[in-house]
Amino acid sequence: MHNGDSTKIKASILREVYEDNLRIADPHLQPIHNRYRQGIKKLSRPVPLLFVFFACLLFYFIANTGQQQGPGAVDAVTIQPVFPWAEIIYKQQRLQSPASTVSFDAGRLLNYDLLLNHNNIRLSAIFGLGVQTIVIDPGHGGKDPGAIGSNGTKEKDIVLDIALQLRDRLQKTGRYKVLLTRDTDTFISLADRVKFANEHHADLFVSLHINALPQKEFNVTETYYFGPPSDLHTLRLAEQENRGSEIMTGDFKDMIKKIGNVLKEQESETLASTIQHNLFSNMEKYDRVIADNGIKIAPFVVLLGVNAPSVLVEISCISKREEETNLNNPEYRQRIMASLQKGITGYLSQRQTQVVKGENNGKKIHRKNT
Amino acid sequence: MAKKSTAKTPENKLLVGIDLGTSRSAISADNGKKKWVASYVGWPRDFIARKVVGKPMLFGEEAVKHRLSLDMYRPLKNGVIKEGTARDEEAVKELIHHLITLVQNAKDAEKIRAVVGVPAESFKVNKVALKKAVAEFAESLFVVSEPFAVAYGVGALDNALVIDIGAGTVDFCIMHGTVPAEEDQRTVLTAGDYIDQQLFTFLEERYPEADFNLNMIRRFKEQHSFVGESKENVEVEIPVEGKSTVHNITDEIKRACESILPAIVESTLELIAKFDPEYQDAIRENIILAGGGSQIKGLADYLETTIGEYGPTKVKVVEDPLFGGADGALELAREMPEDYWTEL
Ligand SMILES: Nc1ncnc2c1ncn2[C@@H]1O[C@H](COP(=O)(O)OP(=O)(O)O)[C@@H](O)[C@H]1O
Ligand SMILES: [Mg+2]
Ligand SMILES: [Zn+2]
Repeated sequence: MHNGDSTKIKASILREVYEDNLRIADPHLQPIHNRYRQGIKKLSRPVPLLFVFFACLLFYFIANTGQQQGPGAVDAVTIQPVFPWAEIIYKQQRLQSPASTVSFDAGRLLNYDLLLNHNNIRLSAIFGLGVQTIVIDPGHGGKDPGAIGSNGTKEKDIVLDIALQLRDRLQKTGRYKVLLTRDTDTFISLADRVKFANEHHADLFVSLHINALPQKEFNVTETYYFGPPSDLHTLRLAEQENRGSEIMTGDFKDMIKKIGNVLKEQESETLASTIQHNLFSNMEKYDRVIADNGIKIAPFVVLLGVNAPSVLVEISCISKREEETNLNNPEYRQRIMASLQKGITGYLSQRQTQVVKGENNGKKIHRKNT
Repeated sequence: MAKKSTAKTPENKLLVGIDLGTSRSAISADNGKKKWVASYVGWPRDFIARKVVGKPMLFGEEAVKHRLSLDMYRPLKNGVIKEGTARDEEAVKELIHHLITLVQNAKDAEKIRAVVGVPAESFKVNKVALKKAVAEFAESLFVVSEPFAVAYGVGALDNALVIDIGAGTVDFCIMHGTVPAEEDQRTVLTAGDYIDQQLFTFLEERYPEADFNLNMIRRFKEQHSFVGESKENVEVEIPVEGKSTVHNITDEIKRACESILPAIVESTLELIAKFDPEYQDAIRENIILAGGGSQIKGLADYLETTIGEYGPTKVKVVEDPLFGGADGALELAREMPEDYWTEL
């Protein structure tokens, strides 16, 4: 580049810095129009898809504010196993479909600039760009062993080992900040797990569990996201996993308001299916009769309280003798870890490409006019 | 065109460029002074501690030395000011204030005009908090992302990629004639601190009897860091049961330093791949390494070879990794047209 060019570029860059900084003070200012940028960014004329996308984000944002009281405020130690299912299902039915909610809000509220410049929104979280915080939640711990196999293997130990390995593996990529709700054998209430994830602004929450079934010959892999129970089996499982949640019915009702969080629900579903897919293809190699229960909906307290997309994985059933033996094998656990990692990164990179494509209107970026 | 940029800085104003880093923060002023300080701020824990340290507040290495008496803050750790934590915001503010006093000529109370480069992540997250933090000490200021300041400083404005390898983060930033947009930047968390952790683990495995801590580990790394072929053995003294003993750590240093390479290569390729092929070549031939980690021996060569498999590649290291960001920010301040300096 010769000098004349460089002076021009500098002048326009300096102007951009100036205008960017003005907008820090006043987010309502219009975006700048750098001549080098024209033809690159088409955001001033959003295509319908983009429109819906941002409206979703805005909705997500709105749904997430104004309910700071969450489980963090809970201090009463009351175990309340009777959850208001009927009410959940009722509310669920009354929920507007995502499309109608979006088109209503979009016209009045959508303001790209406002969204971009609002200093409380974590852009990286919304856009799926930059560093993402993954919270992994090894279930149970301390006084609560979780499921126990007939040889005495405890769910809490197996899931902790897998979680520790998973953390190291994900951290190695440099892409994610990975936090564990516990990295030792300690008891942590469900409320504290939720609080932990929200306080650290988790972008993703994965709770790890091992199941136990009365029918000892069965082995099952399943992944859950939050919703009303679809059958008695899931209800019972949810009751088991919710034990010790220390959340009262009243607070639970408050938390149910989060069901309105359409984006979280959709994202959780996608995450659940990527994880389930990867995990099951792995498990199948070792147990040809293991059942693929797919992704399921259940009212787990941890999944409801966390603001980010969240899933609960029931890796397999320790009640089956051969599975218990396998779970005691470090190599077997490592395979499980690797398949979980594939599921998580698979989901994240999928989301990332969607976002990048969306921003550039699906076209190959070509940021220069010659 | 030149009418704006030639306006002289009025008397009694001091232009400064500041690089707020996760581990080190630097300032470069147009009176020629340059200073840096470790990004730590410490407040005495209580009345007694206050007496012991003799100051209401300590910075940098001095704070580290007295850490037992202090509430310590490393406010930009992980590249982000923790949201809503008042003390972290205050720590950033005090750090900036401290840096300014280091270069200011006390007698002629100059008005400060500052350009502040901050880690790309905190730029996205908390511009307003940052701006507020500096407002008290500066008459006028601009906040920019740190790798962008580096790029501006070395004149890599078009078709260039800056890789700033710091302690908490590696920041990538593609320049194409504009202030980089969000998708032209990326942050990766396997940086200097990660190398330290890895080296610690490796040495613990190999020399379980040796007695070392993270500070020693960092020093070993900064003295001997390298990737690729080693020319000579790296030997350091580590106490064993109180007796200083020579240990060979060649392999461990290499493995630890190389642990950050995959993420760097991958991010580079992905960022470049978003451009049309003709620009991909131009960008690959203009890769610039900055930050403390850019001093790892063999790094530029390694990247040149590895990324070179995708087409001709050229990797340079900035001349002054310690002040690259601050100097770039100062350059921005110098060239900023007079009428852009609005009062806060
Ligand atoms: N010669 C060296 N080789 C490898 N790493 C180094 C060297 N010198 C400094 N570092 C590392 O660089 C990091 C600090 O770089 P810097 O750019 O100041 O970081 P930041 O901007 O994040 O504060 C630290 O992790 C430090 O140990
Ligand atoms: Mg830096
Ligand atoms: Zn469980």
